[in-house]
Amino acid sequence: MASTEQTIPQAPRGPRLRARDALVVVGLAVLLLVLFEGESIRDAGEEMQPGVGRDVVLAVGKPAGWVGDLLPFDEAADGVLGWLSPDDDLAGTGFEEPGATTREGAVPAVTPDSFDPQELGAKPNPPRALDTVLVTGDSLSQPLDVELARELAADAGDDVRTRREPHIGTGVSKSGFVDWGKLSSQQVKELSPEATVVFIGANEGFPMPGGGGEVECCGPEWAAEYAARVRRMMSTYRQGGEGRVYWLTLPLPRDRERQEIARAVNAAIEVAAVPYRSQVRVLDMTEVFTPDGRYRDTMAVDGKERIVREPDGIHLNSEGAGLAAEIVRAALRRDFGR
Amino acid sequence: MVFPSLEFAIFFPLVLAISWALMPRQRLWKPFVLAASYLFYGAANPRFCVLLALVTLANQVGALAVHRTPDERRRRLVTGVTVAVNLAVLAVFKYYGFFTEDFDRLLDSIGLGLPLPLLTIALPIGLSFYIFQAISYVVDVKRGLLEPAPTLDLAIYLSFFPHVVAGPIVRAREFLPQLTSPRDPRDVAVGAGVVLIALGLVKKVAIADYLARTVVDPVFGVPEAYAAPDVALASYAYAAQIYCDFSGYTDIAIGVALLMGFVFPQNFRAPYRATSFREFWRRWHITLSRYLRDLLYIPLGGSRGGRLATARNLMITMTLGGLWHGAAWGFVLWGALHGAGLVLERGLRGRFDAPAWLRWAVVFHLVCLGWILFRSRDLDLAGSFLSRLVEPGPATLWSVPAVAAVVTVIGLQLLPERPLERLRERVAELSPLALGPGLAGVIAVVGATVPSQAVPPFIYFQF
Repeated sequence: MASTEQTIPQAPRGPRLRARDALVVVGLAVLLLVLFEGESIRDAGEEMQPGVGRDVVLAVGKPAGWVGDLLPFDEAADGVLGWLSPDDDLAGTGFEEPGATTREGAVPAVTPDSFDPQELGAKPNPPRALDTVLVTGDSLSQPLDVELARELAADAGDDVRTRREPHIGTGVSKSGFVDWGKLSSQQVKELSPEATVVFIGANEGFPMPGGGGEVECCGPEWAAEYAARVRRMMSTYRQGGEGRVYWLTLPLPRDRERQEIARAVNAAIEVAAVPYRSQVRVLDMTEVFTPDGRYRDTMAVDGKERIVREPDGIHLNSEGAGLAAEIVRAALRRDFGR
Repeated sequence: MVFPSLEFAIFFPLVLAISWALMPRQRLWKPFVLAASYLFYGAANPRFCVLLALVTLANQVGALAVHRTPDERRRRLVTGVTVAVNLAVLAVFKYYGFFTEDFDRLLDSIGLGLPLPLLTIALPIGLSFYIFQAISYVVDVKRGLLEPAPTLDLAIYLSFFPHVVAGPIVRAREFLPQLTSPRDPRDVAVGAGVVLIALGLVKKVAIADYLARTVVDPVFGVPEAYAAPDVALASYAYAAQIYCDFSGYTDIAIGVALLMGFVFPQNFRAPYRATSFREFWRRWHITLSRYLRDLLYIPLGGSRGGRLATARNLMITMTLGGLWHGAAWGFVLWGALHGAGLVLERGLRGRFDAPAWLRWAVVFHLVCLGWILFRSRDLDLAGSFLSRLVEPGPATLWSVPAVAAVVTVIGLQLLPERPLERLRERVAELSPLALGPGLAGVIAVVGATVPSQAVPPFIYFQF
């Protein structure tokens, strides 16, 4: 081989140790992290999407969590480092608190809130003037949030504030790190948005507590539990009738297994909104992007065929998000007149 | 798989231990490292491994054909065909959408359209990096700087997990010789590697992601909603973010490779202290700029053909360098801006002698202007962003941590380099019993700053 050795880059200056020392350093770091962060490793594993990666992380995380449970170090680390966290503690059991889920037995009351006045030809109650729009959800809410915010900024200038709060990797059916029951209450408390746009559902399908055990996706029991959680969020966002909620259904993903989850999620959203038709608008993205339940990457936009989905077959790209934003914008105009 | 993830935290200690255990037995070590690298690369999408394997085989066939052909014209032809195959792969996966959508839109506006079918093609992670490395292999063989490597070595070179996803762009003649004999287990830069990994994590997770979350993403998302003070802060914050994001990745990659016994070239050297564009490109993404110099600028004629030809070569090199980053007009304009800066600088050399601080201020702000084009991607957004730079209004995003992060990242680069280097070396001299807890402490602290949304991917993953 011609002129080899001199072409190898120079290592940074510093002492040279043995490979064994490298293993000692990495091994020590791993050991300390297991002792101090064992529970976090297990929790993170449980939040991951099903697959080999999750299995591997849990294979380490479960024993690490067990060690963490036995020792007081995890709590000590949380106490020392907790102030660095950019979020409030959003993990928890918000959905499991009383009133979170449907209770069997009693016949639920039907209230006027169950009816959209426009459908009945009645005059709708005027909402508050539009000041703050919250756009939230998981990764699906991006870039919808940006597209909508730019449209609102162009139309309404500084009069309407758009708050974008995507929580990537979260889901309604998992609450280890982010409990949407808790998060939605916090968002409303902080912002009191007149309009809340929710687009969530890329990370669903997790088993949820229900019926005395765990309910697996995606039968009627799972959908009922999911609907109960969504209804609780809708109830929070509608703020006793003061706010309007725009909940987008899921365009079907390309993957067949994910389609099964998306169908259950969409059915649950429709059912969840029933008592609040007066304030909650379910915006049907399924029919817009995947009519007749068939996935497609492209569709006609303004007479030209355009790509509307990301290559992952789950998310909308900018073009698709722009289209979704127009639908949300039209619904906002209907309710708020601007 | 990304470096700051639980999967990698499990993967790396196992691979490191097995790698050193097998190192003396190269027949076992090489297949093991190849398998580990493909596992790392395929974690996101196993189908991408097929493309990586095909690129490896195609380039090996090309390199062997070049090596066996005595006739210079035929060698040049075979090299050209192999490079063209590489570029075709890049074109299909990276630029097809750009040409069918953006180019079609452009032609449509003047009454012409492209009847090309629209396809959503997933961009394999790291494609631009390993394609460039593959080209470097064939070209080095053609130039006689390297003999064709065994296929297994080439496969390891292209897929080696520390650099497969986002570089640094290690040239074939820098890496392949390191595979000819086992790495010496008594000569491992453990301290330097650990310091780089820790520094990279801090840069990426604690600084870059924080600035993105609190300043850059909100303003670049909807510039119309912000006035001049916030927009100005966002442009400086993006300069700090992209430096910390990319150099943070590179630091981790180089550190991980050092622990495995391999040495990668340096990729960043305080780029924001540059007082000229030329100097900037000797400090920013060094492995890309020397690659473009050696494999594009010099073959185009470099500075050998007079002032106009040099200017043309610089503009072509930098504009294509911009396009390498992605299929968007913002990248093309970013490259063209740097090309124009280099041309202008050459033209003014010897005629205009400005003080160093003024040259620094001009270059730094032009670099920041370039980052606005780079981040905006589409020209509408860049236009909105720039127009808001003169819009009076309140500073809503200025906070002590955000301003401190920007000032620290940029300010540290303006300080004398040697004392900072010395500080790093002093930390690297600590004993393994101190380095281990130190690394764990950094991971725990950095991990505590991760928001509920998890760590976003590195910016350069998409390239």
